[in-house]
Amino acid sequence: MVTQAAGICGRVGDGIVGQEARVKAESAEAVETPYALWQRTVAARYADRSFTARNRSGVELDPVYAGLDRHGQPSEMPGQYPYTRGVYPIHYQYQPWMDLQIIGYGVPSQTRERMDLLLQEGGAKGYFDREAYNFIFDMPTSMGYDPDHPGVRGSIGDCGISVCKASDYEVLLAGKNLEKTTVSMVLNAGSPGMLALYLAAAKRRGFALDKLGGNVTNYIWDFFGHSGGTNFSPRGSYRLIADIAAYCAEYVPLWNTLTISEHNICEAGANNVQAVAYSIAAIIAVNEECVKCGIEPDSVVPRFGFHVRYGENFFEEIAKTRALRRVYAKINRERFGCKKSGSLQARIHAQTAGSLLTAQQPLNNLVRNAYGALAAVLSGVNGMTINAYDEALGLPTEEAVTLSLRTSQIIAEETGAVHVSDPMGGSFYIESLTDEIERRVFEIIDDIDARGGLIACIESGWIKQQVSAAAYQWRQEIESGARTMVGVNKYTNDEPEQFAVFQPDPEAARMAIEDVERHRRERDNARCTAALEALHAAAVDVNEGRAIGSVMAALVAAADADATLGEMQTVLHAVFGRNK
Amino acid sequence: MQDPAARSRVLLTKSFIDSHDRAIATIALALRDAAMEVVLIDYEQPEDVVSVALQEDVDVIGVSFMSGGQVETTEKIVAELARQGVPDLPIVVGGIIRPFDVPPLEAVGVREIFRGGAPMADVVATFERLSREYRGLSQGAEA
Repeated sequence: MVTQAAGICGRVGDGIVGQEARVKAESAEAVETPYALWQRTVAARYADRSFTARNRSGVELDPVYAGLDRHGQPSEMPGQYPYTRGVYPIHYQYQPWMDLQIIGYGVPSQTRERMDLLLQEGGAKGYFDREAYNFIFDMPTSMGYDPDHPGVRGSIGDCGISVCKASDYEVLLAGKNLEKTTVSMVLNAGSPGMLALYLAAAKRRGFALDKLGGNVTNYIWDFFGHSGGTNFSPRGSYRLIADIAAYCAEYVPLWNTLTISEHNICEAGANNVQAVAYSIAAIIAVNEECVKCGIEPDSVVPRFGFHVRYGENFFEEIAKTRALRRVYAKINRERFGCKKSGSLQARIHAQTAGSLLTAQQPLNNLVRNAYGALAAVLSGVNGMTINAYDEALGLPTEEAVTLSLRTSQIIAEETGAVHVSDPMGGSFYIESLTDEIERRVFEIIDDIDARGGLIACIESGWIKQQVSAAAYQWRQEIESGARTMVGVNKYTNDEPEQFAVFQPDPEAARMAIEDVERHRRERDNARCTAALEALHAAAVDVNEGRAIGSVMAALVAAADADATLGEMQTVLHAVFGRNK
Repeated sequence: MQDPAARSRVLLTKSFIDSHDRAIATIALALRDAAMEVVLIDYEQPEDVVSVALQEDVDVIGVSFMSGGQVETTEKIVAELARQGVPDLPIVVGGIIRPFDVPPLEAVGVREIFRGGAPMADVVATFERLSREYRGLSQGAEA
């Protein structure tokens, strides 16, 4: 049964104004209620299109329900500051989430085979008829090392693609119209150089940089998990983030330059409140760095986004997402003076929780992932990665990857969860939890400010201690049985289970190493060396606060001159320092 | 023989390029709470693990793998142990250990394999036992 929320219920374009809105309108004509504003926005933005759905019983479902909030005021509406209820007035009914299954293993030609399979299965769908791929790189690539770097051979192509030069993208994306392809690159310290490889490859193929869409996660901001000595120094990292943001704002304006990963912080062990607070603290540190470098936040912030984890606390996951959007909007507007709506709207890519996947009874993970994905959908997210159920055993099999995609498709097309935006809005429980998470997040942000800001907290080791302590506490709860993990500490069985495990190609390492060696022999080494020297000069400038954006420009030029990822990284490390 | 009264000393390590350290950081805290002395480092070259193990005079080495290199790295560590004259220094591996990794790991003499979800009490007990054995205390001597 569908009950109408007290007061305001309206349909798009039908002109019905709810009771509450009418009362308000009568008492103070000048003040437009959130609901009336929402109606006006929807009518203007979507013309006469109706978003009213009908369930199987024939009940008409409004695209959004509203009423009075916990404090007796007319409720905030989706698409309105501070965006607790979502960044769009109409969400999935107009634009479904983008499924971005993680893809990548071996050498580029091997990953390309999997991309073609994904496309054939109905995946790889981006917004507005674009194809979308979410590339994960092997650990050497992710950290910015070439396959022939000493000591990395065993990891080549093992948990992602090995990519180290612009020409690798010519294989990976052969025949693709890059203006119609969204490329997402998930990686750590290798991010600046990797973006350069892609942009150089696109340029060579004749695509205009200002038509390219995609993102680089740019996890160089992340000192919450393990980045060891591969990341730049904390101050160097945040300077590079500003440089990349400034370059892209000018030359690659559709590119999303930074993904703050609440997901990664949670996966490293933090609880939800900590993870949201640390994510916002990272945004504050980035924005402060931009301001210091003379960059207007409104020119770069709209291209920042979030990656959020959906794990074991179904309702808390939803509340934390709503709190994250609200705090982000408030911080950017009130602390950094942002005015553009794009600077205030947290766009979110969801991922289910990898750390909850168990090697024991691995099919249980399908169910865990489905609940995580449903929490994400009910939170109102823009993109979705559902992990494969067999990832605790190894790299996913093709069957498991397909089942993840089917999970998303079932939620989208069978459950009806998409008919109403922010369907949990107005729940006493969810709204109260959202407010409480917000309150606690601001407490932690105040604490970090009092400790001198995020970078100081990274440098002192305080952040890492907080995360490790939370991870240890979680583990102790599992050990004591206070927290249940089905199949691990409860409902276990001793029957040995045999599952197919994907085996990466042991030949990938040899192929990748031979390829980079041939590349170094055949390129114009004088041109490459000159480009790397120019990169060094630009890095020195930017490190000293001059010519922000010139490092990224020099990286693209170096990539175009056939410099490898590892060669560019060596230059950047020399100037921006290494972590620890 | 080493001092039997001394606390167990353990080296925990993972590759400098592997960003997943939640498990090994948690195990480090659990071993510390079990009164062991824990050295936690990244390695760049597998051989470096052995030089640190010798400098720190540890009784057990634990290596965590989440993102590749399981077999190749372990083989190199074992070879270096033999080269440095400490072939009996026990190695434990943990993390994402796939079925096809197991035979080669066992072949080089890995003493125990722990995957995600393994009870922490078992992990702690294994490190304690291997440490005592390595110190020559395995023959029923209660310290």
